Amino acid sequence: MRFAFTEDQLGFRDAVRSMLDKECPAEVVRAAWPDDGTGAGARAEPAAVAAVWARLADIGVLGVAVPEAAGGLGLAELDWVLLAEEAGYAAVPHPFVETVAVAAPLLASAGAPTGGGRSLAGIVGGTVRIAAALTPGHDGRAVPYAARADGVLVHARSTGAVHLLGPDEAGVHSVRTVDGAIDAADLTDRRCHDGNVVTAAPALVDQAFDRGALGAAAQLLGLARHMLDLTVGYVVERRQFGVPVGSFQAVKHHLADALVHLELARPAVHRAAYSAAVGSPNRARDVSMAKAMASDAARLVGAKALQCHGAIGYTVEYDLHLYLKRAWALAATWGTAAWHRDRVGRAMGI
Amino acid sequence: MNVVVCVKQIPDPADPGALEEDHTLKRDGKLILDESDSYGVEMALQLADAAGGGDVTLVSMAPNNETSGLRTALAMGAAKAVLVSDDALSGAGALDTAKVLAAAIKRVEGADLILAATESSDGYTGTVPEQIAAVLDLPSVTFAKHVEVADGTVKVQRQTESGFDECEAPLPALVSVTAGVVEPRYPSFKGIMAAKSKPVDQVTVADLGLDPSAVGWAGAGQEIVDVSPAPERQAGEVIEDEGDAHQKIVEFLDGLKVL
Repeated sequence: MRFAFTEDQLGFRDAVRSMLDKECPAEVVRAAWPDDGTGAGARAEPAAVAAVWARLADIGVLGVAVPEAAGGLGLAELDWVLLAEEAGYAAVPHPFVETVAVAAPLLASAGAPTGGGRSLAGIVGGTVRIAAALTPGHDGRAVPYAARADGVLVHARSTGAVHLLGPDEAGVHSVRTVDGAIDAADLTDRRCHDGNVVTAAPALVDQAFDRGALGAAAQLLGLARHMLDLTVGYVVERRQFGVPVGSFQAVKHHLADALVHLELARPAVHRAAYSAAVGSPNRARDVSMAKAMASDAARLVGAKALQCHGAIGYTVEYDLHLYLKRAWALAATWGTAAWHRDRVGRAMGI
Repeated sequence: MNVVVCVKQIPDPADPGALEEDHTLKRDGKLILDESDSYGVEMALQLADAAGGGDVTLVSMAPNNETSGLRTALAMGAAKAVLVSDDALSGAGALDTAKVLAAAIKRVEGADLILAATESSDGYTGTVPEQIAAVLDLPSVTFAKHVEVADGTVKVQRQTESGFDECEAPLPALVSVTAGVVEPRYPSFKGIMAAKSKPVDQVTVADLGLDPSAVGWAGAGQEIVDVSPAPERQAGEVIEDEGDAHQKIVEFLDGLKVL
């Protein structure tokens, strides 16, 4: 049995990587921040932020998990996990995982509701973006992208069913969080009713959450890799005492530790994607292992990156904070590392 | 209208490889489509589309039957490819390359227009397109920043230092295009999947009717005797302002022809 990614999966990854490399550099991520100095530095035109989503639609990424009959590619977790990693690497300032990996396949399998301008065709075509607050017990606060999404997936507190709310039904109230590019919002209302229910089937609800946690874990891998790349680039270039600071053993040790954590988390994320794609009974356990390890790895890589950069890493003009803050935000959503470790423990009966 | 595009598959510039003992670039790993060729591919797709149909065919020369870069261009929408791969081509210079590509182009039936980039991103000789035109005895226009085809004629805006020239040539013709002639599309997922089943005609030097002993090192009229790294960038010039600094800055910029 071959456990490597297929040529198609790697081809899709390369296509998304080279597209985002050109269309979503740091200036574009920064342009998604409010123009109040908190994300200071070179900013692209605001239109460049929307263009990233449009290009993703052009090349067919947004329909990757939508059935072929609905205009998508009908692919599964193993096909999009590498794409989520690339979206993380570029810190794409859009609800990529929420829309592509969670909402699209959930709406497709639940079959409703597709009206109200929030249809599958809209997702595939790039006109619809969906935010999500599906972590069990989510209080509806600081939901990433909810301030500018076309809809928000939420749990009904009483029934546990998933509903797709329009911004007015959710009572969206914009809030600032550590990552200014994700336009988070508190959901002050949440009017869940029969007209906006997506599914009450526990299997679909659980699957949707696991896909979100898996997508977040993959994005965290990408973010960690980006922070490590930035740091390696910096310590090779920055000279002190006549030599690059990266030649000092203490700096090398930090970076080696960072790489080890990143490389340990990666197979856990790929394993979780496999378990999800084949419908393994261990899916929840494997996804939790992936999210816990990826969250911890990204936090550790971020801390090492910040330390190895020295003072410049703390400035908002330098790019590191764009990726560091996204990693912090993602580590705290779709279940924290502690929450997921607890779920692994329960799955193991301890 | 049928368009042939000459494309080069090169080592990834983000991960430049080492040199072989004979001072040529190592090309034994995965090769990618030279970004400068993606403009020609896009131009060809747009011209074929504007003409209401026709095929875009790629022509390439690469070691080890490498097709990774060709697949990228096929994923963009090209219909098929001719790939010349032969150990005899190791050490080939610009003229060898032009002769081989010209022979490969002859295998493509009914080519109305041949496009190439102005130069490759790994070799930079910038001479191959004109040499191909000479070998095929076709008119050629270089440095195209805009290309149109109408009534059996190709009309080109040819980039110059001070602006552009309006040129025309009867078809068939060869045109080399600059980066920026059009914005290349990104390969779509459906294009990537379709590219796998598009035909790639893999041929050797002998298949093209050429003499293997007349190309590559065997037939080379040149030899690489030494390679040295590019000089490190020198520190800039410091101008002390004694009231005339602005003039010196203007002179400097004028020398760069940016004013």
